[in-house]
Amino acid sequence: MALSEALLMQNVRQLSGLDGDATTDTPLFSTGTLDSLAMLTLIAFIEERSGMEIRADEVTLENFDTVNRILRFAQGRTA
Amino acid sequence: MSGIATTFFELFADNLAERAGKVFVIDPDRSYTYGEVAAEADRIALWLTDTGVRPGDRVIIQLRKHMREVAAMLAVARVGGTIVNINAALTGEQLRFIAEDAGARALILESAATLMTGRDSAVLLADSSEWQTLSTGTGQAPIATLDTQLAAIIYTSGSTGSPKGVMLSHRNILAGARSVARYLGLRDDDRLLSVLPYSFDYGLNQLTTTMLLGAAVIHQPIAMASEVVRAMRTHGATGLAAVPPLFIQLVRLLEAAPARLPALRRVTNSGGAIPDTILRAMPQVFPGADIVLMYGLTEAFRSTYLCPSKFSAKMGSIGRAIPGAEVYLVKPGGGLACPGEEGELVHRGPLVSLGYWKRPHATLEKIRPCPELASLIGDEPVVYSGDVVRMDADGDLWFVGRNDALIKTSGYRVSPDEVEELVHRSALVTDVVAFGVADEMLGQCIHIAVTLLPGATRAALMDRCRTTMPAYMVPRAIHVWPESMPRTPSGKLARPDVVQACETAPLHTLAADAVSEQRRKSRGA
Repeated sequence: MALSEALLMQNVRQLSGLDGDATTDTPLFSTGTLDSLAMLTLIAFIEERSGMEIRADEVTLENFDTVNRILRFAQGRTA
Repeated sequence: MSGIATTFFELFADNLAERAGKVFVIDPDRSYTYGEVAAEADRIALWLTDTGVRPGDRVIIQLRKHMREVAAMLAVARVGGTIVNINAALTGEQLRFIAEDAGARALILESAATLMTGRDSAVLLADSSEWQTLSTGTGQAPIATLDTQLAAIIYTSGSTGSPKGVMLSHRNILAGARSVARYLGLRDDDRLLSVLPYSFDYGLNQLTTTMLLGAAVIHQPIAMASEVVRAMRTHGATGLAAVPPLFIQLVRLLEAAPARLPALRRVTNSGGAIPDTILRAMPQVFPGADIVLMYGLTEAFRSTYLCPSKFSAKMGSIGRAIPGAEVYLVKPGGGLACPGEEGELVHRGPLVSLGYWKRPHATLEKIRPCPELASLIGDEPVVYSGDVVRMDADGDLWFVGRNDALIKTSGYRVSPDEVEELVHRSALVTDVVAFGVADEMLGQCIHIAVTLLPGATRAALMDRCRTTMPAYMVPRAIHVWPESMPRTPSGKLARPDVVQACETAPLHTLAADAVSEQRRKSRGA
């Protein structure tokens, strides 16, 4: 199943309690919005939806700090 | 060294005479000396005084991990106030509850986003020009305080359905710092990596041990394994304190991309059990570092640790009482457990907290004389942990489970009442039962069983949970009960029946969400 922006955004809201103002450019980790447990859960969700396996060393701020970055990373990997 | 300190503020200030120029806090962008932090704390203290904060007043702090957060805590202590440091992951609703419960006189917050309305407390915002232009402190003498005085309130989930404030005296905090510094063998050249919040007793203890020894603390605000490892390497961290979900990621990362951490002397775990596969890999990914497994509960700050020399033989044990504390196991039918037996862990000593803020009945349930110990210690109150623990033949302790309904998930203690209360507030259900389900990664995860009101959907309820609950409390699965739930003759929900049915009959189970499915799969792999 594909990883859509809407699905990802929904999952991030579920994990964080972010309010309606959050956008696909809202920083998730660098602001402390998501903790280590939420990250583990988010990674598992992305793997499930995209069918890719994320290596531990790919989990960086560059790749994961916003919904947009996650989508770009996922597209790069599946392209 | 602050060996003769008797208060939280002295723990810090006793360093100023001889090491004002020594680095104390290392933020990602720059570091601050003891003297620089003192100056910032003085500025904030002056604001607190001008604002009307008097000795004994509660001040809420909800800031990102930064020098400012440390300075704010010190400022509150300097003016004799009580520190109420709040986890950044808490929702606005919880912050409002706590501010009300604590009767906060002032709040120091990151930004207006979390600001409540309708309270007349003073507010200082980290992103404001007001903070930038705070006046330089007057250097007035800090307020003299008894060491038995309330120093901080740590809010924790509790069985009354709402967060409860655990009251820590200065003596509790100092006894905790001295004990932990002793068994970890901390020194003044240590640089401890702090990624856990200071609103958590285990995270706070890193700061207090740092100050006790005149050492340095490295702030890592991002709980992402790659960032933690980078900060450890960049700043030469000698110690790391983490919780199981973070250790899982760190071990996976370091297995995939080994990193040399030559400065590292020790890593410590608390807040739950680390999965066996991860524990076994730890000596390889942290070569040369001691691995210290610890156990504590906020009501007694810190309780036990496993001596690192026993790690390979006793992996997973929580060890024995920390220096300066005693623990005993009380058997279910009464009497103290001997080697080979299990019982509820009770904790005695100077770390026993002052109890719950404004909840004398809850305090008496938790902290009370122990008949089994009467011949040893008379009616001195001890903390009843609610944790069932087994003592092995050597006297080392192993966590077995809870003796009540509390759910322990990734280090958080969540009461089913609290989850159920929030679900009820959604006005989407008639009945709800919350319960814990064993989970290798989290310890337990939260499930709820609900009878939905006509027109309500599982998705709508999940949406509601996401907005009203902090992330750790959001249920992993919602079991939809097709009719009214069974009740006992006295009209209460027959909770055990509901839980058992959900655990055994997939009929009632709308599939646990994709994430838990994936987690199960990855565990099998």
